[in-house]
Amino acid sequence: MFAQLLHPDVIIGILATGVRLATPFLLAALGEMFAQRSGVYNLGVEGVMMMGAFSGFWVTLTTGSPWLGVLAAILVGAVMGLIMAFISVTLQAEQGISGIGLYMFGWGLAGFLFRLLVGYVTSVDGFHDIPLPGLSRIPVLGTVFFDHNWMVYFSYLLIPITWYILFKTTWGLKVRAVGVTPEAADTLGVSVARIRYTCVIIGSMLAGMAGAFLTLGHTNMYADNITAGRGFIAVALVYFGRWTPLGIAGGALLFSTVDALQLWIQVLGIDIPYEFPVMAPYVLTIIVLALVSGRIWQPAALGRPFDREG
Amino acid sequence: MKRWSWILIVVLLLTTVLTACGGKQEAQTEKIRLALILPSTIDDMAWSQSMYEGVMAVQKEMGEDKMEVAVSERLGNPVDAGAAIRQYADQGYNIIIAHGSQYQNVLEEIAPDYPDVSFAYGTGYEAHDNIFAYDPQAQEGAYLQGIIAGMMTKSNIIGVVGPVEAGDAIKYNYGFQQGVEAVNPDAEVRIAYTGSFGDIAKAAELAKAHMDAGADFLTGTAQQVVGAINAAKEHGGVYWLSNDMDQSSLAPETVISAQVYHWEKVVQQIIDAHQKGETGKHIVLSFANGALELKYNPQLESQIPQEVKDAVEQAKQQIIDGTLTVKLPEN
Repeated sequence: MFAQLLHPDVIIGILATGVRLATPFLLAALGEMFAQRSGVYNLGVEGVMMMGAFSGFWVTLTTGSPWLGVLAAILVGAVMGLIMAFISVTLQAEQGISGIGLYMFGWGLAGFLFRLLVGYVTSVDGFHDIPLPGLSRIPVLGTVFFDHNWMVYFSYLLIPITWYILFKTTWGLKVRAVGVTPEAADTLGVSVARIRYTCVIIGSMLAGMAGAFLTLGHTNMYADNITAGRGFIAVALVYFGRWTPLGIAGGALLFSTVDALQLWIQVLGIDIPYEFPVMAPYVLTIIVLALVSGRIWQPAALGRPFDREG
Repeated sequence: MKRWSWILIVVLLLTTVLTACGGKQEAQTEKIRLALILPSTIDDMAWSQSMYEGVMAVQKEMGEDKMEVAVSERLGNPVDAGAAIRQYADQGYNIIIAHGSQYQNVLEEIAPDYPDVSFAYGTGYEAHDNIFAYDPQAQEGAYLQGIIAGMMTKSNIIGVVGPVEAGDAIKYNYGFQQGVEAVNPDAEVRIAYTGSFGDIAKAAELAKAHMDAGADFLTGTAQQVVGAINAAKEHGGVYWLSNDMDQSSLAPETVISAQVYHWEKVVQQIIDAHQKGETGKHIVLSFANGALELKYNPQLESQIPQEVKDAVEQAKQQIIDGTLTVKLPEN
């Protein structure tokens, strides 16, 4: 039975699935990275993803264009990010609690709107795969990386783009400064509030896009709780990746590839109690996290509201 | 300032104490007040929707003046469900149905506190005192669907998209395997689990993996199957055997048959037993008592060879009169 698993077609299939499954994590986690680097942790990513999934689905259903759907999902994400930023930065509320509140709000609102505006389970025509000319013909790597829909490709590009923005631009430097010593940044004239607002909104826009991927780039349908906890896994990936784009990408790929592997282990009828494959992605991620040594660094001001008088 | 905050605290305490006093058991009235706790939504096209439709059908027949219904959805987590169940019991609801095998423990904990209220859960069989357990014999219809798949499969690979190895899923999967084996020992039935009842995207992914591995017949249980059905529809060239309710509206060219649960019979039995005071029954849904039914999709029925339908009909009769017993794991 294990021999079946080692068949090249199966391995390529598993890797390609792993890349595809990693996309929502990558989008949401890279967005959350900006928010956390600026000092705000947004646990409501799951709620934003759900609203993004629903908005993307509904706009596509009514207009016929998945592009408008993604745009709607990003806008909805921005609005929810604005709410979260207002609560966390201006009102200086406890971020963990307001994040969970945003999660429940997103879940409830998405379910409510779905029932109001749609009311039954149906599918849409989402994004199709675009094999990249030339690149998709490379043996093995071609199928694994270059035969997906545009959102998957976008998530690849996001890795170097976010790295460049965060580490090579002045604005990125300001973001990192605000997340470590907002007091010092403030004395140098950096608007801590504005940076945090921007980062939280960017994070939510990407989370909305991640939700839209689930409905428009993966399942082509919407049903209640379609995100099933992926938003929380994305937040965990930010910690796993030590707040760096490469770390996050590595974590997302590790988790998703093991997830794809465990599905195939079950499908091929390999005789292991199903509980083990199902928990494998989580267990392996924890093991890797424990083995990767080095100082545990995190943005020093993470979770602490900034008050000039305080 | 300090005095006002003391007055406020006293007022708040009084309010809390007084409302708590009002929450004791009210006297039993003639009217049936039924509360339904669902793990997913009333429109999930699967597990929860079929029970919701059953409850509504009973209410329609009894009349809204004789039966009041309250529904709480998205309570898949038994702890949250427990809080809702207690609230309903405190508010005087006399029948509370918690629709899922995961609610067994929470009901065991709560039921002794409310001896006048009838509680029900399922799939389950531990029934006693004021807890009903309803037990769809999913393995029966699964066996029949196994016959369909076993006789019609061309690739001899059949995939099952399972949630968690519990309750309904265990029965269904066991029955299905036996049905396939009975008619086609060469066919391979591959059972895979997502580990959750509600992860639609993962169910879709599992269906895709089955199809990539060569399955041409798929089946599965729980509210997440809608994802798998959609994936099967998009892939094309495979048939889906559905459970809980007729899911062919999701994929009219793909869903070939369905084992339908007639929950309204269960709900009616619970109401009748409650009114007579004979609570704590183990209620079985089977083909013999008409609570289970196998339906073909009219659009695809012509594609089913007559010999398959005959084999199904014969097996169904044997199950009903007891000559054929579909085995279940010892537990």
